[in-house]
Amino acid sequence: MNINASKRTVFLDDDSNRRLPLSRRTLLRGVGAALALPWLEAMMPTGAVAAEALAAESDGARPNDSPLRMAALFVPNGVRQDMWTPTGEGREFELSPSLEPLAAVKDQLLVLSNLWNQASNVGDGHYVKTSGFLTCTTINKSLGIDLNCNGRSMDQVAADYSGAFTPLSSLELGIDPVTTGVDTNVGYTRVYGSHIAWSGPTSPLARELNPRLVFDRLFHAANPKQGNQKRDSMLLDRVLGDANELKRRLGAADRQRMDEYLQSVRSIEQRLQKQNDGSINRWQPLVQLDVKQRPPEERPDQYVQQVRLMLDMIALAFQTDTTRVCTFMFGNAVSGRNFSFLDGVTGGHHDTSHHQNNEDKLRQYQLINRWHVEQYAYLLGKLRDMKERDGTVLDNSMILYGSGLRDGNSHSPHNLPILLGGSGGGRIATGQHLSFGKDTPLANLYVAMLQAFGSDKKSFADSTDVLPGVLV
Amino acid sequence: MRLRTILACCACLGVAFATSAADSDSAANDVSTPVAVEATAVEAAPTEAAPAMQAEAAFEFLQNYCIDCHQGEEAEAGLDFDAYTTAADVGGAIEAWNRVADRVQEGQMPPEHSEIPPNPTRKAFVTWIRQTIHAAVCDDGVSPGRPMLRRLNRTEYANTVRDLLGIHINAGHALPDDGAGGEGFDNAAETLFISPIYAEKYLAAARSALGHALKDPGARGKIIVATPDDKRSPQQAARAVLEKFLPRAFRRPLRDGEIDEYLVLFDSAYAADPSYESAVQFALEASMVSPKFVFLWEEPNPTDQPVPVTQHELASRLSYFLWASMPDSELLRLADQGKLADEAVLAEQIKRMLRSDVDRNGLRRGAKVRGFATSFVEQWLGTRALGREFKPDASVSRRYDSELEGGMKYEPIFFFEDLLADNRSLLNLIDSDFTYVNRRLADHYRVKGEFREQPKKVDLPKDSHRGGLLGMSAVLAVSSFPHRTSPVLRGKWILDTLLGTPPPPPPPNVPELEESAATDQPASLRERLEIHRADPTCASCHSMMDPLGFGLENYDVLGRWRTEVDEIPIDASGELPGGIEFVGPEQLKALLMERKQQFIRNLTSKVLGFALARGLTNDDDCVVEAIGEKLAQDDYKAQTLVREIVHSIPFRYKQGRDASIGLELVTTPHR
Repeated sequence: MNINASKRTVFLDDDSNRRLPLSRRTLLRGVGAALALPWLEAMMPTGAVAAEALAAESDGARPNDSPLRMAALFVPNGVRQDMWTPTGEGREFELSPSLEPLAAVKDQLLVLSNLWNQASNVGDGHYVKTSGFLTCTTINKSLGIDLNCNGRSMDQVAADYSGAFTPLSSLELGIDPVTTGVDTNVGYTRVYGSHIAWSGPTSPLARELNPRLVFDRLFHAANPKQGNQKRDSMLLDRVLGDANELKRRLGAADRQRMDEYLQSVRSIEQRLQKQNDGSINRWQPLVQLDVKQRPPEERPDQYVQQVRLMLDMIALAFQTDTTRVCTFMFGNAVSGRNFSFLDGVTGGHHDTSHHQNNEDKLRQYQLINRWHVEQYAYLLGKLRDMKERDGTVLDNSMILYGSGLRDGNSHSPHNLPILLGGSGGGRIATGQHLSFGKDTPLANLYVAMLQAFGSDKKSFADSTDVLPGVLV
Repeated sequence: MRLRTILACCACLGVAFATSAADSDSAANDVSTPVAVEATAVEAAPTEAAPAMQAEAAFEFLQNYCIDCHQGEEAEAGLDFDAYTTAADVGGAIEAWNRVADRVQEGQMPPEHSEIPPNPTRKAFVTWIRQTIHAAVCDDGVSPGRPMLRRLNRTEYANTVRDLLGIHINAGHALPDDGAGGEGFDNAAETLFISPIYAEKYLAAARSALGHALKDPGARGKIIVATPDDKRSPQQAARAVLEKFLPRAFRRPLRDGEIDEYLVLFDSAYAADPSYESAVQFALEASMVSPKFVFLWEEPNPTDQPVPVTQHELASRLSYFLWASMPDSELLRLADQGKLADEAVLAEQIKRMLRSDVDRNGLRRGAKVRGFATSFVEQWLGTRALGREFKPDASVSRRYDSELEGGMKYEPIFFFEDLLADNRSLLNLIDSDFTYVNRRLADHYRVKGEFREQPKKVDLPKDSHRGGLLGMSAVLAVSSFPHRTSPVLRGKWILDTLLGTPPPPPPPNVPELEESAATDQPASLRERLEIHRADPTCASCHSMMDPLGFGLENYDVLGRWRTEVDEIPIDASGELPGGIEFVGPEQLKALLMERKQQFIRNLTSKVLGFALARGLTNDDDCVVEAIGEKLAQDDYKAQTLVREIVHSIPFRYKQGRDASIGLELVTTPHR
């Protein structure tokens, strides 16, 4: 593989592009996701790394390994503290009342105590702690103009490495639509509270909220319509030509929007190549999807059902290897979702999280926490039941679970509730409760996860170290 | 924070509810010709404002009431008043001083238990700040925003595909939903991001929508305007189709060679598979994935000076403002002819675009202006949350069903559409003698009449407890918790949504005010809130929020009228800072009516933000101010608001390379 080819695509992105669409595509063939626009270079410092990784895999470096996957599940509004942290440390620990639902997968679980997200210890109680959950950066206070998370989320850094292997570089999923309006009370647009995945400082990633559409995307990735590729490529070239035409006439400040669209169009093109290339890079699903697994309804009314379907889709995406990176939000920041469907709960989530040490509210708060953990346990169990050639999908996954704040009453980002499930292809030392020194950076965990994922990253955001004891 | 609420100078709600008589002497300007709004107009402005104090007195005010806490490196809120000694200093720190004015105006500062200025002094100080800022920003003209560049949002995409193809399907249903920015709307350019998923979604949506349209005989005929025959080759026919379709899809005339670029697609597809229709469809698909279709894109302005938007850009600005959709054939024709910017033509088009006819059964059917009414009202009021972020608890909603939810959601939308179409006073939003209800909502309100599933206008009897936004159940619901009402949330809703003065967030590490522990003891809720207000930190805001909300306690979570809870009579009385007492929603509405200028200014800035599809700037606030004055002269007519916005500098012009160059502010001749 000629890595230089990826650099030449940068050059070809200008005018010459329109005269040479075919040769450009020829160049792209085999380069995978390594093509980078000039502006994307800053955001994707490791574009070339993906190409190298692809080359390594093509060369048979890990021919018999199942792919590694990574997901991050976000829960709004924190947890009841005294019911969260397990007793005991290391391998000898007992699950707390809120973590009990994980008993069956305890040996595949890491409970992490005393991690914090310093960058989110400012601003407001929720938005900075949501958008900054996976970026470990401080977001700009903004109603829209100058919106900026000042970083990239950890999942997207991981996708730099894995995106080249799969039709979808990553999947962003959620339940709640982006919360309406801007929060004039604290001065943040609610866009911040509705996104944890950021491909760049000003690019929150849109989430799919409809499990059936997720299934359809997975299905189409595995079953592309034969014979359409040439036509589709032609169409996309026309669209790229139009985007470049507009871009040339725009001022520098506005070019980024058009670049984002160019990148969006190219991602389809790349997928077509992965699906249809005759070369070794051609992607095929590890397991065939069964149309019977297609969710019957687009948006079931019941929250419980919606969550389960979305978790099912994560499991299918990982099992088929349609993507290796996924994020999921149980709810948006400040979610006031009514949890009265749980026995013993009468209130909304956010309202209940402001418990003020009221006995009854604390009791309800914990029931809500526990319900979320049950869903997490459901996903881990589901992945564990998916056998693949060297173990289970869970064995080859890292499923992060957590909230951007500890206690909903104080909004503190100290000692965050963080869990990691799955042994990451044997790289994660699961079956432990690890308690670190007070205020150990959460980013240290992300460095460890990225390394387990195959990255050579030594640091991420405000990390100070690789979190000790996590990697085998 | 911007120039918001310039001259909205009552100290606290209730303290300075000046009589509305002030509004009548507003026409200080001769408005028979366009009038430049000058600094002097400020004094003549119709406001609830007091005269300003002199600069010297203002700096003395700071020394007397503020400096103890706001001085030096340790200054509270990082606000060191020693840093400001001249009016120019104040004009150079607009954001900070707007906050100062807001806090002092709303009685949040100076805090309770410190030395409090007499009300006239307080008002005069605030007026001085507002005027100083206004002079700094507006005196050298208004700079419009940059040329528009944003993708269509989900709603606009669906409406545009509907109008482009002439079919009634929701082509946007599989697109990701949009967040909001700027003034709180999902059309704000700054938050219309593009994620990798978009192109894929646009391609699938275009395929599916075109597939439907070409199977529909009516729609098909309007798209496939030519087929190959003896006289026309397939390519000639395809050219005819594209000549008709592309200018509509791109909302502008085509440049040389643009058709050929798409004809190439037809040719290739036709060469591979000689099916005319399939090859044409393929070329059309491409155009609907093109950024020329999915982006609202305005020609950059390469000069230094602001220039007017082009005729076709104006057509799109109008249609996406008032219809949330593409320009129709009439707008495009007028733009082609270069007539759209003509004042008389434009005025006629605005009227046409706002039209909403009432049928024989008294129902408003499918007017395009509903696109505006829906997007604007749902987001301004926050009622889009109904059924989404807000779902009532089963304990309060045994009879809650989709028809009731629909009636609730659409009441403010139809109401606003009515104001626009029939050119009524915008003050109806504060109080009115009519509303819109469907069958279930009529029942909910105990209003008599013949109703079906669609909302219909109904005149309200005197004792209906309805009328205006505060009587609408959607508003009352989204400012409640799922299982109980919240005077705090409702009070905050009034300050933020109606008056545009959102209270600041609670200080760090103070748990949110509750209330909550009293969930099962409504009787003690008021007491608990009173105890809470004993804390001066909390009191500065809650002494205003809470009484406003208590004024609405007669409405339950779903807005039903009640006189008692658990056999305890409702106490809907409130005392606002300054000792103004009131009881219940009627008196609350009367108090709001006394602050109508502030309400109108806030509404104007919201509509302007929606129209411009971006967050407003200090320059835009000069426009808001001028339009507010114009509205006061014109009985607050809804169409005047729309007309003034369409005629405004930021709507009609785009910025040049030098963003600081502005244009003199003018308003339209009085009609």
